[in-house]
Amino acid sequence: MVTLKTMGQSQRLLIIPPFLWLGVMFLLPTLLVLAIALSSTRVGMPPYEPLFTWDGAMLSINLNFENFQFVLRDGLYAHVYLTSLKVAAISTLLTLMIAYPLAYGISCCKRPWRSGLVFLVIVPFWSSLLIRVYAWMAILSNDGLLNSLLLGLGLIDRPLQILNTQTAVYIGIVYTYLPFMVLPIYSNLADRDRSLIEAARDLGCGRFSSFWRVTFPLSLSGIVAGCALVFIPVVGEFVVPDLLGGADTQMIGRTIWVEFFNNRDWPVAASVTVLLVLLLVIPITLLQSRLSKMRV
Amino acid sequence: MQTSFLTLDGLSKTYGNFIAVSGISLDVGKGEFFSLLGPSGCGKSTLLRTIAGFEIPTAGSVLLDGADVTALPPEKRPTNMMFQSYALFPHLSVAKNIVFGLIQDRLPKAEIAVRLSDVADKLQLGALLERKPSQLSGGQRQRVALARALVKRPKVLLLDEPLGALDKNLRAETQDELVRLQKELGLTFIIVTHDQHEAMTVSSRIAIMQSGRVLQVGSPETVYEAPISRYVAKFLGETNIFEVATASSDHGLATVVLSGFDGTYRARLPFGMSTEGPLWLAVRPERVELARRGEGVPGVVQGITYTGSQRRYRIGLSMGATLDAVRVNSGGDDVQIGDAVVARWADEAAHLLAE
Repeated sequence: MVTLKTMGQSQRLLIIPPFLWLGVMFLLPTLLVLAIALSSTRVGMPPYEPLFTWDGAMLSINLNFENFQFVLRDGLYAHVYLTSLKVAAISTLLTLMIAYPLAYGISCCKRPWRSGLVFLVIVPFWSSLLIRVYAWMAILSNDGLLNSLLLGLGLIDRPLQILNTQTAVYIGIVYTYLPFMVLPIYSNLADRDRSLIEAARDLGCGRFSSFWRVTFPLSLSGIVAGCALVFIPVVGEFVVPDLLGGADTQMIGRTIWVEFFNNRDWPVAASVTVLLVLLLVIPITLLQSRLSKMRV
Repeated sequence: MQTSFLTLDGLSKTYGNFIAVSGISLDVGKGEFFSLLGPSGCGKSTLLRTIAGFEIPTAGSVLLDGADVTALPPEKRPTNMMFQSYALFPHLSVAKNIVFGLIQDRLPKAEIAVRLSDVADKLQLGALLERKPSQLSGGQRQRVALARALVKRPKVLLLDEPLGALDKNLRAETQDELVRLQKELGLTFIIVTHDQHEAMTVSSRIAIMQSGRVLQVGSPETVYEAPISRYVAKFLGETNIFEVATASSDHGLATVVLSGFDGTYRARLPFGMSTEGPLWLAVRPERVELARRGEGVPGVVQGITYTGSQRRYRIGLSMGATLDAVRVNSGGDDVQIGDAVVARWADEAAHLLAE
């Protein structure tokens, strides 16, 4: 394995820019949010007290844990966290159920077809997310495309209320995040060793059991990657629940927005954010270390 | 020959315009170690995959132990294959790889355990059962792949270039082991190889293939000593080939005049071969004797190649052709480059070939 110690000089130089980028663009903002979470609210700009004060002779550090206590004590926040996790878990599962057959189907096509189909999967990225979500509003609203179609076909006699419900949130999230699930699973399945399937067939497996006993377990790493790519951003998703959801889908992204911009309580908003990061980072780190042990 | 156990009847396989296998009929007896030998692209792997059920033949049929299996998918055939890449399941331990097919067949747990320990003993895999394929050496992987196929007790074991990935010493060892296992288990083995030495070492019979056809089938001795065509003679080992000008037969031997040579030579005439049409005379280098003087074809030593166990001499003959001769290294070498020598061979060492 390559480690920092065994690397050559040029290799070390090569990894400096990405680390520098991550430090400036990711670590520094995270530390700033943490600092705001540990400060006190005040009226003014910025709307929080400085963490460090220097009066010419003495450095004082004012750490304020009240924001965290407030967020942890108030049942509302716990409820919102749970709703976010539930919505993220269910949408991840739904996305997986659509993405896996799609990725498998593409990987079974002849080579020249595959890149075209993958292209179609990522085409939506070429337009703005907001526009696509507004399009869904037009499709799902009471006088929208879907209801008009169903009414026209005579399947329903009055419009279904889909927009501004949790169903609309799931539809929007699954639609938005589908490519993030399809791509890692597809790249895993496209690389699969066909001789393993032949070996399974040769040893007595039919088409289904050779898939279930060989292809599927070997695609688990793609599934885990796809689920992480969907689950993590969906927990903090703001746009889709805000535009498609109703009062019953209060997710954490919305809460953070409200704290920051409506209540102008930056320290509480930052605390909610820090807790969200912890909520996601700790289980994912555990999962990662389990996976890397499994691979040996 | 024994009664046929596996019969291929007029098998053809075409992909669009490309003919991979063209009208092959073969009989393989029970308990035979049968080789399909040929250069890459000759159709031998396609033929093996047709027997395994991975390829549906365009024409012809496959009969195994009296039953027509042509239309059966691989999972329904009593054959098992050892893949060239071994195709071990990377997510399963060695033990789970080996019992993969037994679990699929829903064998009782006790039976699976017995068969696993049997095959692990036979192939010295006992210490490796808990490892993953990625933790094994090439030779160990090869044994696991063999165990996984053998444990299902197939009627025919198919081996696709099974030793291609092994180094030379390990390959020789494994060849011996394959022969030992095959005798011990009394199974029918069909092996695909492009290595003529390997085919000669392990098989009871060899089918030599070229461009989707079988050119000759026979024991290693037969195909080496009595090849039916120039192609077979050249493919199996090395040989000196001279064009025949005229030939006349009498009782299995022929008297021939060689183009450019003085005098007449005697050579074996394969049964049923006509002396009409273009013929060639073949002599294996190891059957050529070199002497300082006396009867024989005169020539000059042009080159000597030393390979350890033997020396190979290239003789430039007076009429312009060259001839190779091989001598076992028995110490000392009195023949030097530039020496004038005569080359001769026994009548029965010469053999007539058709195109």
